[in-house]
Amino acid sequence: MRFDPVLAWGSMPALLDGALMTLLVTFTVMAVGGPLGLAVSFARMSRRRPLAWFGAAYVSVCRGAPSLILLYLIYNGLAQLDIVRDGPLWFLFQHAFFCVVIAFSLNHSGYIVEIMRGGMEAVPAGLLEAGASLGLSPRQVLWKIRIPIAIRYGLKAYQNEAMLFMKSTAAVSAVTLTDLTAAANEIFYMTYDPFTPIITAGAIYWVINNAMRIGFGLLERRLNRHLGLA
Amino acid sequence: MEFARLERHPAVAMAGVDKFYGKYQALRAVDLEIQRGEKLVVCGPSGSGKSTLIRCINALEPHDAGTISVNGIALGRDRASILDVRREAGMVFQQFNLFPHMTILENCTFAPRTSLGMARDKADALAMRYLARVHIADQAQKFPAQLSGGQQQRVAIARALCMEPRIMLFDEPTSALDPEMVGEVLRAIEELTADGMTMVCVTHEMGFARRVADRCLFMDQGEIVEAAPAGDFFDRPKSPRLRAFLAQILK
Amino acid sequence: MELLAFGDTGYGDELFFGALTTIQLAVFGYVLALALGLVFAVLALKGKGPRWWLFRVYASIFTGVPSLLIIFLFYFGGAELVRSLLAPIGINVRLDVSPFTAGVAALGLVYAAYLGDLIRSAIINVPRGQFEACEALSVPRRHMWLSVVLPQAFRIALPGLVNTWIVLLKDTALVSLAGLNDLIANAKVAAGSTKEPFVFFTAALLFFVVIATVTLPLVNRVARRLERGQRRAEV
Ligand SMILES: Nc1ncnc2c1ncn2[C@@H]1O[C@H](COP(=O)(O)OP(=O)(O)OP(=O)(O)O)[C@@H](O)[C@H]1O
Ligand SMILES: [Mg+2]
Repeated sequence: MRFDPVLAWGSMPALLDGALMTLLVTFTVMAVGGPLGLAVSFARMSRRRPLAWFGAAYVSVCRGAPSLILLYLIYNGLAQLDIVRDGPLWFLFQHAFFCVVIAFSLNHSGYIVEIMRGGMEAVPAGLLEAGASLGLSPRQVLWKIRIPIAIRYGLKAYQNEAMLFMKSTAAVSAVTLTDLTAAANEIFYMTYDPFTPIITAGAIYWVINNAMRIGFGLLERRLNRHLGLA
Repeated sequence: MEFARLERHPAVAMAGVDKFYGKYQALRAVDLEIQRGEKLVVCGPSGSGKSTLIRCINALEPHDAGTISVNGIALGRDRASILDVRREAGMVFQQFNLFPHMTILENCTFAPRTSLGMARDKADALAMRYLARVHIADQAQKFPAQLSGGQQQRVAIARALCMEPRIMLFDEPTSALDPEMVGEVLRAIEELTADGMTMVCVTHEMGFARRVADRCLFMDQGEIVEAAPAGDFFDRPKSPRLRAFLAQILK
Repeated sequence: MELLAFGDTGYGDELFFGALTTIQLAVFGYVLALALGLVFAVLALKGKGPRWWLFRVYASIFTGVPSLLIIFLFYFGGAELVRSLLAPIGINVRLDVSPFTAGVAALGLVYAAYLGDLIRSAIINVPRGQFEACEALSVPRRHMWLSVVLPQAFRIALPGLVNTWIVLLKDTALVSLAGLNDLIANAKVAAGSTKEPFVFFTAALLFFVVIATVTLPLVNRVARRLERGQRRAEV
């Protein structure tokens, strides 16, 4: 086993380009999947049976399936359906990036639904009653008390999910997107050095992963400081 | 040989024992001798080192200075002497510490079978004998969580007895119990004293101490402040610290 | 439907054997992860000292990078890795690392890091009194661990163990990218040659969804039966 520093240095530009794609996918999916998950979590917790049922099925499928299959299903599978082919959005589904964002957002939002649900249920009933007894409307209790507290409760779980999912974006190379893993792979096929590109890419992932951890740590401290003052 | 050892030595002999938790000194130069067959009750305010004292006797906590010997076996840092001492001294905890995933019978036979290599039927018979002594033989097939606190503590006593120790150590055996269950456990302990077993019991149950104890010990801040027969101890305390303590628990 | 038939006309048998490979991969990987995780947990139990730090470094590396990257590393470089590890002790081997082996090794090593943490904290959450009772009764170490501590730790860790199993099962999909002919790879082949990708990918998706959905209730039921009358230890 040998690590070639010269090759590592030479590969940096390509790998960093790949890392940029990884980050772009990650943040786009967080931006799309977050609100999507929030919306579905309302359905999941709804008192209307069909809505709740839809939410449960959504979570089952989106969380239970590997993102790679969701990705194939959307990138290759939808192309076969006439409604999609003839629909107005067809030009979007031809783009790998668009399909990646949809597939991973489905997966990511599935986790968010459960995190939100856990957080909402953990909010002490006493707090909600206190809010109501102060004359807040049910809507105000929901938006001003329950959701903000649920988000704080869920933050730790969300951090874990976000970090796991950032790493899982390595699968996007399967649909021709050149992310960090794909970039490392390309260098391997050019040089047949099995260690240098992969270890270097691993180091970059490691840095991103820990940067996310630190970022979430700061965010949590900020939210909790606010909570402490309130 | 065995008999000679027991004849010649006190059940427990501690001399100049210090115990530290980090920088905090929990025992200060404790000297204590417990005679064979003696019933000793230990009391004192919270944090005074009562638990530490009896946990040092069977090496659940290693002591830092001084000597401890149990039935003539000097307690060192080596595993062999620790095991020998633990064979002499059984222990009952405040929180029972039963194994929740084993039945009552399995709780009692586990140690004899694993540490003494006793055969199953022999261990079962032994366990049933001791379970009967604490009046709980009919619960042998249940799990600890299905029993009341008092019943669980009696099982814990039977479990310790199954190793047939010569000394029994009790660390506040009734203070985790609801008041109505305290009596049954104390009675079970009292019944054991009939056959000459040496006993050290940390407790604040005064009635029990008066009935059972040959000697009472008052600890404060890691020291033995006063030791006297139960009558003198409760009715004519000498040291002001003990007087203050008794005034407080009688309130 | 005839697309999914067994035999020459359909791809049912290909999908079936692909699914078997997927399950095999997941089971082997999980067992390896469980065994290693248990060893790590016990070695790093104390929470300080060199063994704990070594485990932290290991866990940081293997949880800090994508499993796919580790799969590629072992698939491309595994043979050389093993050779250079064995050469110093005088063993000279030439071997080919199959995608399956690379997958088992990668998933095993990655999830050992997660399971090591999980099991360690489960052991720490077994009440101290359980250890002390064993000590006071002079129960031999081996029996204390096997009969008292680990069964209770297992109960505490169970939800996490199930969750990890589901996550690992999904991660097996990645090994198809290293050329393993598992469920996904076969679905992809079938999709390509029939031009009916929707059917095959949906079938593959359902396989994972069904296993993930069924596992937790199933395990809970088995656990409840095993526990009979007992509850967790009082702390
Ligand atoms: N494992 C430990 N680590 C650090 N300090 C300890 C430990 N165990 C006990 N101590 C400290 O040692 C002192 C004596 O403790 P010990 O448990 O012997 O008191 P006690 O007399 O049994 O009190 P209680 O009536 O509350 O049970 C206390 O101040 C306690 O905080
Ligand atoms: Mg105590």
